[in-house]
Amino acid sequence: MNIGIVFDAIPRMLSGIVMTFQLLLLSLAIGTMIAVLLLLMRISGRWWLSWPAQFYTYVFRGTPILVQIFIVYYGLPQFEWIRESIFWPILRDPFGCAILALSLNTGAYLSEIFRGGVLAVERGLLEAGAALGMSATHRFIYITTPLAIRIALPAYGNEVISLMKSTALASTITLVDMTGIGRTIVAETFAPYQVFLSLAIVYVAITWIIQRSVKRLEVYLGRSTAR
Amino acid sequence: MEALNGWWDDYLLASVTVAKVFVCSLILMVIFGLLGASAKLSSNRLANAVGNAYTVFFRGTPEILVILLLYFGSAVSLTTIARVFDPSVAFVDIPPFWAGSIAIALVVGSYATETFRGAFNGVKSGSIEAARALGMNGLQTFFYIRIPEMWRIALPPFGNHMLSLIKDTALISIIGLNETLFVAKQAASTTGKPFTMYIVVGLIYLGFSTAITISVLLLEALANRHIQRRPS
Repeated sequence: MNIGIVFDAIPRMLSGIVMTFQLLLLSLAIGTMIAVLLLLMRISGRWWLSWPAQFYTYVFRGTPILVQIFIVYYGLPQFEWIRESIFWPILRDPFGCAILALSLNTGAYLSEIFRGGVLAVERGLLEAGAALGMSATHRFIYITTPLAIRIALPAYGNEVISLMKSTALASTITLVDMTGIGRTIVAETFAPYQVFLSLAIVYVAITWIIQRSVKRLEVYLGRSTAR
Repeated sequence: MEALNGWWDDYLLASVTVAKVFVCSLILMVIFGLLGASAKLSSNRLANAVGNAYTVFFRGTPEILVILLLYFGSAVSLTTIARVFDPSVAFVDIPPFWAGSIAIALVVGSYATETFRGAFNGVKSGSIEAARALGMNGLQTFFYIRIPEMWRIALPPFGNHMLSLIKDTALISIIGLNETLFVAKQAASTTGKPFTMYIVVGLIYLGFSTAITISVLLLEALANRHIQRRPS
């Protein structure tokens, strides 16, 4: 086994880390917005808003992310009207497709996490807010939201990690992220152990960093309740 | 829709492959999860370290990387070994079916490790003490008290692990397993209708995950039937 390959491969793969983080942060931001929208639709109490949101979550959580990526990247160009629409510059580009698919997917998972947080907020606090004369909107913004964020944060962190792992799938639609570069190097050197194992360690390190940061944030947000 | 004519049987066979991968990896996942949980719960330092390394590595690595590592790694090793006996051998590999099943079972097994461990610790100590007070021995306590209580705690997250497994089967097409996504790729290039072909794959998976969700709900009802409060 030639260990020299590792020292050659790691810097090359690390050059793909920018792509991995771009995919992660952009789709996390867009996914969070989708999730908030879905959450508001679900707790609106109006069936014509809540049902579509439920259907969306059901579909996106019930199918593999790889299939979603393929539908967006290979599937959508089948239609003439998509190729003529204003979205074509995004959908023609594998990066745009990866962002779109990852955001839509993570949005579905995050909305469930947010809903769990909102439902876990104690009723008594909301009743207290109502007794103080706060309107429903005020109660939602000043009582439900801060508490729900605190409750949902650990699960949110787990979802960030699984999104980070899903960005590796972007290599299947020709994007050169860390996994994409790793696969190229393996095709050149045929040294899968050295390349894939060192790449796995990079991913484990990123996971660890995300976990630590979320823990930090948890402590920070919980500072008022910490004894 | 008529583009799908002639492909139904391919999709059907591919779905059977998905189901087979699911069953094999489910069995392996339970084994890995139980081994991992026992390692983490044991008082042996070495077993603890192995258990922790297992969960940290497989929970932090993308599934696709584990699949590639297992498939190409084993292929390189096997080819090297085979060449010792017969230098003319070009390439030997583990079938993608098994490399893929083991890979996704290892990944999901690392999540199951935490579920099983949590369920083991989640059994109320009062129940164990009560069993002891009734004169049950260690084995009886384990099988009549701990296992049924663990089962109730672990079932909902276990359902999620099964959903992860079924969705991860789609990744095995990357190493050339002839499953639904693989069929869709061929069908798309032959007919020029990629959207239709991939949507069918999505619907197949939606069917699988719906079936799993419903079965888990039924199992939960079964597991909790004694503690359900009757309307008075």
